[in-house]
Amino acid sequence: MNTHRGLVWFLAPSLLVLVAMLVYPLGYALYLSLFDYYLPSNAPKFIGLGNYLALLGEARFWGAVYNTFVIVVASVALEFCLGLVLAVGLYKLRFGAHGLMVVLFVPHIITPVVAALFLRWIFVGQWGLIDATFWPLGIFTPDWLGDPIWAKVTVVLADAWKATPFMMLVLYAGLQSLDQSLIEAATVDGANGRQLLFRVVLPLMRPIILFVVSIRIMDAFRFFDTIYVLTGGGPGTATETLTLYTYSVGFSRLEVGKASALGVVTLLIVLGLISAFVSFLYRRERGRF
Amino acid sequence: MKSRQILLFLALAAATFVSLIPVLWAILTSFKQPVDAFTIPPTLVFSPTAEFHYQIWFEKGFWTFLINSLVIAVSTVCISVPIGTMAAYALSRIETPQTRLLLMAILAVRMFPHMLLALPFFVMASMLKLFDTYAIMIMALVAINQPFTIWLMRSFLVDVPRELDEAACIDGCNVWQTFVKVIVPAVRPGIVVTSLFSLLLAYNEFLFALVLTGAKTKTLPVAISEYGGEDITYWSLSAAGAVGIMLPILLFMVFAQRHLIRGLTMGAVKG
Repeated sequence: MNTHRGLVWFLAPSLLVLVAMLVYPLGYALYLSLFDYYLPSNAPKFIGLGNYLALLGEARFWGAVYNTFVIVVASVALEFCLGLVLAVGLYKLRFGAHGLMVVLFVPHIITPVVAALFLRWIFVGQWGLIDATFWPLGIFTPDWLGDPIWAKVTVVLADAWKATPFMMLVLYAGLQSLDQSLIEAATVDGANGRQLLFRVVLPLMRPIILFVVSIRIMDAFRFFDTIYVLTGGGPGTATETLTLYTYSVGFSRLEVGKASALGVVTLLIVLGLISAFVSFLYRRERGRF
Repeated sequence: MKSRQILLFLALAAATFVSLIPVLWAILTSFKQPVDAFTIPPTLVFSPTAEFHYQIWFEKGFWTFLINSLVIAVSTVCISVPIGTMAAYALSRIETPQTRLLLMAILAVRMFPHMLLALPFFVMASMLKLFDTYAIMIMALVAINQPFTIWLMRSFLVDVPRELDEAACIDGCNVWQTFVKVIVPAVRPGIVVTSLFSLLLAYNEFLFALVLTGAKTKTLPVAISEYGGEDITYWSLSAAGAVGIMLPILLFMVFAQRHLIRGLTMGAVKG
């Protein structure tokens, strides 16, 4: 215990920064969310929960909620499946796995804005790589960025392109840390490949799957850079998520009160979703968390 | 069995190639004249030119944005990693319900929608007349990176045996001396990994830069996002910029490849 004397003070600088730059701004955002506040007017007017009530009655808000859920669920599901396939493939591969993994990882760590531009040059109508390649062959591709439904698909593909390597890497680490004797035992007992994956490997990996999917859901809710560059929320509001809607209310229309309320609602949704997800998986097999 | 391995390798190599197409295509475009950049069908044969790389970095002033990016990212790391390491050291050695709660609270901060913080930052920056200064951007990034730094450093620090602390204590070191002379040297590889990842996060940051920087402190991601517009005659130019921004990151991959899992999961998964 003697070694701990004064150790508590080591927390001070970091906590000071966290309180000043995270806790205080968060409190300030909560406070702002109770005001009708158009920034240039400099005259905030207290309206209690007015911003929240106004949001609940607004079609554009519900549209953003819907878009967010569709995009988050579709991209996380797609990333998980692709990531798992790649991770199992790399796990089974006995040579060159490390090299392939490092190269596969490039899309994940390049600057999101740059990555979004790269994808724009692939998807953009007529001159993009896809259209320019297929049109001369007489194959007409969808309007990737201009059609309300295809724009959602494009955004999901873009997120999957960036985040699948992360899923793959974590699931691969999970596979490598598995207890080999359990897999051997199952093989001896006559389990085929599919049974092995669904009955043995995946249940054993539950903690790591829980971890990586939670992280991805949180990040997908924050998903901003790519959509901002790729579609800007359009066409119309077809790919406008809560984050993009908050941005346009807060920074284009400068209604910071209403935008803060939107931010708080987003936070509540993320918190709710994560706790529901964790307790769902936790309850299914108590003690195996 | 051997042929199955080769098939598997080919399948994975094909997947890798497909996932790299957008990157490779951008690199090709950056060396093309506009006339080669948008042909139908796309062309792979052209006489390369480095003209646009020169133009974007020197004539369009991207080098100033690079300096802004570096000043902000390096300062962030120089503040964030030392204070984060100190906090992580305390949190790795004191084990009480309070410190466990604190660790979870710090983790919870990581899931905040950044937009929720960007708003009050923006309002505060305009009130304090700190808009478009390095200071506000660095402070914001230090705060945003703290949870990451603390968790990742803690995962390295819990691996440092406590006997080292105790031995230093018996030798008469106080906490600060123990930390500086014994713990920091022992955890140096962890500090390098954490610094590299913090540097990457700060370099890639877009939303806060978009909201808090202006003409004087604009960073590379914000600058390039303004070049991505509809105008296809700019393709070669913006491709050159985008490819240039990516280069330091490829360099980062070379150094950090063995630590990717640990770095990106904040130490939760040790690869």
